[in-house]
Amino acid sequence: MPQPLCLSRRLLMTMALTVPWSVPARAHAKTGGVVSLDYGLASTMLMLGVTPAAVVARADWQRWVVEPAMPESVADLGATTELNLEVLARLKPSLILTTPFLAASKPRLETIAPVKEFDVYGDERGALPASVAVTRDLGKLLRRDDEAAEFLAQAEATFADCHRRIAGLAAKPVALVTFMDERHVRIYGGTGLYQGTLDRLGVTNAWQAETNFWGFQTIAIEQMISLPENTHLMVFEPLMPPDILQRLDDNPLWLELPFVRAGRVSVLPGVLMFGMVREAMRFAELLTERLEQLA
Amino acid sequence: MSSIFFRSPLTIVLALFLLGFSFAAWNIGSDAWLLFEPAGNYDAKRMLLVYSVLPRFVTALLVGAGLALAGVMLQQGLRNPLASPTTLGTSAGANLALALSLLFFPSLQVLGRDTIALAGAASAACLVLAIGGRRGASPLSFILSGLMIGLWCSALSAVFILINDRYLSGLFIWGAGSLALQGWTVPLSLIPKIAACAVVAGLMVRPMALMELGDAGALSVGMSVRKVRVLAIVVAVTLSAVITSAVGIIGFVGLVAPAIARLAGARRFSQQLVWSPLIGASLLLVTDETVKFLSATTGAFVPTGSMTALFGAPVILLLLTRLRTENRRPLNLAQGPARSWHMPHFIGVLFVVTLIMAAIAAILIGRTPVGQWEILPVAEWQTIFPYRWPRVVAAFSAGSMLGAAGIILQRLTGNEMASPELLGISAGATSGVALALFTVGAGGLAVQLGFAAFGALAILAVVLLLGLRSGFSPERVLLAGVVLTAMLDALIGFLAASGDPRAMMLIGWMSGSTYLVDEMSAISAMVCTLLFAALVLPARRLLSLLPLGREISQGVGVRVPVARALLLVFSAVMTAAATLVVGPLSFVGLVGLHIARELGFRAALSQLIAGSIAAGLLMLIADWLGRMIAFPYQVPAGLIAVLLGAPVLISILIKNAEKGQRRWLR
Repeated sequence: MPQPLCLSRRLLMTMALTVPWSVPARAHAKTGGVVSLDYGLASTMLMLGVTPAAVVARADWQRWVVEPAMPESVADLGATTELNLEVLARLKPSLILTTPFLAASKPRLETIAPVKEFDVYGDERGALPASVAVTRDLGKLLRRDDEAAEFLAQAEATFADCHRRIAGLAAKPVALVTFMDERHVRIYGGTGLYQGTLDRLGVTNAWQAETNFWGFQTIAIEQMISLPENTHLMVFEPLMPPDILQRLDDNPLWLELPFVRAGRVSVLPGVLMFGMVREAMRFAELLTERLEQLA
Repeated sequence: MSSIFFRSPLTIVLALFLLGFSFAAWNIGSDAWLLFEPAGNYDAKRMLLVYSVLPRFVTALLVGAGLALAGVMLQQGLRNPLASPTTLGTSAGANLALALSLLFFPSLQVLGRDTIALAGAASAACLVLAIGGRRGASPLSFILSGLMIGLWCSALSAVFILINDRYLSGLFIWGAGSLALQGWTVPLSLIPKIAACAVVAGLMVRPMALMELGDAGALSVGMSVRKVRVLAIVVAVTLSAVITSAVGIIGFVGLVAPAIARLAGARRFSQQLVWSPLIGASLLLVTDETVKFLSATTGAFVPTGSMTALFGAPVILLLLTRLRTENRRPLNLAQGPARSWHMPHFIGVLFVVTLIMAAIAAILIGRTPVGQWEILPVAEWQTIFPYRWPRVVAAFSAGSMLGAAGIILQRLTGNEMASPELLGISAGATSGVALALFTVGAGGLAVQLGFAAFGALAILAVVLLLGLRSGFSPERVLLAGVVLTAMLDALIGFLAASGDPRAMMLIGWMSGSTYLVDEMSAISAMVCTLLFAALVLPARRLLSLLPLGREISQGVGVRVPVARALLLVFSAVMTAAATLVVGPLSFVGLVGLHIARELGFRAALSQLIAGSIAAGLLMLIADWLGRMIAFPYQVPAGLIAVLLGAPVLISILIKNAEKGQRRWLR
C-alpha cells in the first residue's frame, strides 16, 4: 500500500512545483467582475447598470467619452496597444469584453477569464444598428435583459424625439469634421456611428464620398469644395490647435467656401467616434440642440 | 556629341520638368482657362486652381529645390555622398518637439506648428553640432551623432505616441509630409528663406570646392575646414528645418537629387550646386503630381513625404552600389591593451550572478494594480508569474541573440557599427513577418520564423553585396540599413496618416515589445538561444581567424568563403528569431561588443559570451523599466533600449574617436 502513496506524493510535489509556472488554474475564484477593453462596450455596461471592474485607457475616459461618467473605483488597464495583463489577471475578472481590434491578444486573454468578442464595424448595416444588436446581446450575457430593453427603448425615444424636433426645422445637410491640423480634417460618413445617427434623425450627410472601414476619411481642406453649397459644417471638439478657427482666417480657400462665407460653421462638443448606442444618443441630442439654436 | 548631350544634367532636368509639367497639365486639365476668365461670384473650380493646385505646384518645386540644396551642402561639407538632412536627426527632433508640445504644453500650440517644429529641429541640430564637432569636426562623427540623436528622438516620440494613441493623429500627417495647401502663405514664406540660404551657399562656392582636397589638403591652402564645415551644416540644417516645419517630413529628396546630378556628370561643386536643386524641384514635382493622381483616383489620403521615401529608398540602395570604393584597413576588434586572452574569471562570475539577480528582481519587483511598489506576495505568484517570467526570459534571450549576431557581424566585417538593427536585417525580418501576415494569415510560430528568416537573409544578401563593393565602409553599410528602416517607417506612416487604427498596433509591434510573448514563445526563444550558443561556440576559432585575413585563415586550413557564409547565415537566422520576439528597433545588437570591449574582453570567445550576456541584460532591464515607468501603461522594451543605449554608444564612440584609433574612418 505505501508504494502508490509515495509515488502520488512525489507526483503531487512535482505538480505543486510546476503549477506557478504554468497557465493559471481555472479553479481560482473569478470574482473580480466584468472588464471591458473597449470604450463603447464600457459605456453600454454602465447604461445597463453594471460597473466594469476595469477599463482600457481609463485615464483618458473623461476627455474622449465625457458621459456617462466612469466611477473612480474602476481600474486602468493601460493602452489598447499594450494591455496590462498583470493588472487584468490580478483583478481575477469573471468575464472580459473585447472587440476584433484586439484579436491578437485573445489567446492570452482567454487564459485569464472567458472572453466575449463583440463586433460593431464588420456589420454591413452600419455601426448604429450593429450597436443596438450588440447591446441586446450584452444584456443577455450580463443577465440584464430588462435593463437592455429599457435602455434601448430610451434610446429609441431620444432618437424619435430628436427626429421630430429636426423635422420641423427644414435642416440643411451637415458635414461632420474633426480638425487634424491647419490643413487637414477627418470627415465622417460611410457606415460609421455618426452616419447611422444622422440616418435615424433624418438629417442628410453632406459628405457622400468614400470613407474607410470605420466610417471616416482624412482629407485636405480643399476637398471640402465638393460639399453642397447649402452644407452646414459641424466641427467636433477638441480643436487642434485650440485657436484653429482664428488661424483659418489666413486660409483664403477656407474663407471662400460657401458655408464659411454664410457663417454656417458650428462647434460641437466631442463625441466618441468609436462608441455605441449611448454615444449615438449624446451625438443626437447635441446635434438637435445645435440645429434648434441655429433655426 | 549626342552622347554628351544625353549624359548632361540639362537633359535630365529637361526630361523631368517635361514629365512633371505634362502630369500637372493632365491633372489640371481644361480648368486652366478659368484663370483668364473674370472672377465670378463663387466658382469652385477656379478657387481650387488658384488656392490649392497652383500653390501646391509652386511649393513642390520650392521644397524639392530647397531640400536638394541642403543635400548638396551637407554632402560636400561632410565629404560624404550619403549625408542628408534626414540622417542628421533634424526631422526627428522636430517631430519630438511637436509631440511634446501637443501632449504637455498645449498652450504652446498658439505659437504655431511651424515655430515648434523649427525649435525642435534647431535643438537637435545644435546637439549634433555640439557632439559631432567636438573632435576636429570629422565627417563621420557628425554622421554618427546625427544618426544616434535622430534614433533617440524618434524612440522618445514613439513612447509618447503609443501611450497617448488617441491624441497625436495630426502628428502623423505632418510626419508623412502632406503638400496639401489652401493658399499662398506657405510658398510665399518659403521663397525668401530658401533664397537667403541659396545666396549664402553661393558665397561659399570657393571654400566648399576646396573641401574636395581633403581635410589636410584644404588646411594646407590655409582654409579652416572646421569653420566651413560647420557653416555648410548650418545652412543645410536651416533649409531643411524651415521646409520641414512648413510642410512636414519629405524624405530622401535631399539625398537622391545631388546623387543624380553627380551621375549625370556634374563633377565640380559649382555644377552640383546649380543642377541638384533643379533636379530636386522637378523630381518632387513629378512625385507630387503622381500622388495627386493616386489620391484622386483611389479617394484615399496619400501623403507626398511617405511616397518620396518609398520611391527614394530603392534608388538610394541602387546608388550605393555605384559609389566609388575606397581602400580601408579593416578594424582589428581584438586590438588594444588586452588584459587577458581568456575571460577574466572574476568579471565572468560577477556577470552571471548579476544576471540571475536581475532576472529574479525583474520577476518579483513590480507594482500593484493601483500603482504602489511591491515585492510580489507569494499568494499572487500563481496568477502573475505567467505574465512576468516569459517576458523576462524572452527579453534576455532576444537581447543575447542580437548581441551574439552583432558581435559575429562586427568581427566578420571589421566594422564596429555593423549591428543587425543598423544593417537593416531586423527590418528585413519584420518585412518578412508583415508579408506572412498579409499572405498566409498569422500562421504559427514556425511559419513566422521562416518568413522572418527569409526577410533577414534577403536584406543581409543585399547589404553584403553593397558592402563588398564599398569595402564595408561603415557609414555606407550603416546608411543602407537606415534607408531600409526608413522605407518601413514610411509604409507605417502612410497607414497612420490616414487614421487607420491598425497602424498603432504595427507601431507597437515595431517598437520591440515583449507584450505578446507567452510561455510557449519564451521557452522557444530560450531554446533557440541555447541552441545557437551550442552551435556558435565551436566556431569561435573561425571568429578569431577570419578577421586576421584570408591568407592566415587559409594557411591553417579554413575554407574562408564557406566559413564566412556559414557565420553570416547564422547571424541572420539569430536576428530573425530575436526580431520575432522584440521587434526590429532595439539597439542591443550594437552595444554588446562595445560593452564587452570596455570591460576588457578581447578574445573571440570571451567577447561573444560577455557581449551577448550584456546585451541580454540590457534588454531585460529595458523590458522591466518599460513595464514600470508609466504603469499601468507599458512602454516597449525596444524603445527603452534605444533611449538607454544610444547615449552610452555616443559616449563610447566619442571616447574611441578621441583615442585617435579611427584613422581608417577618414
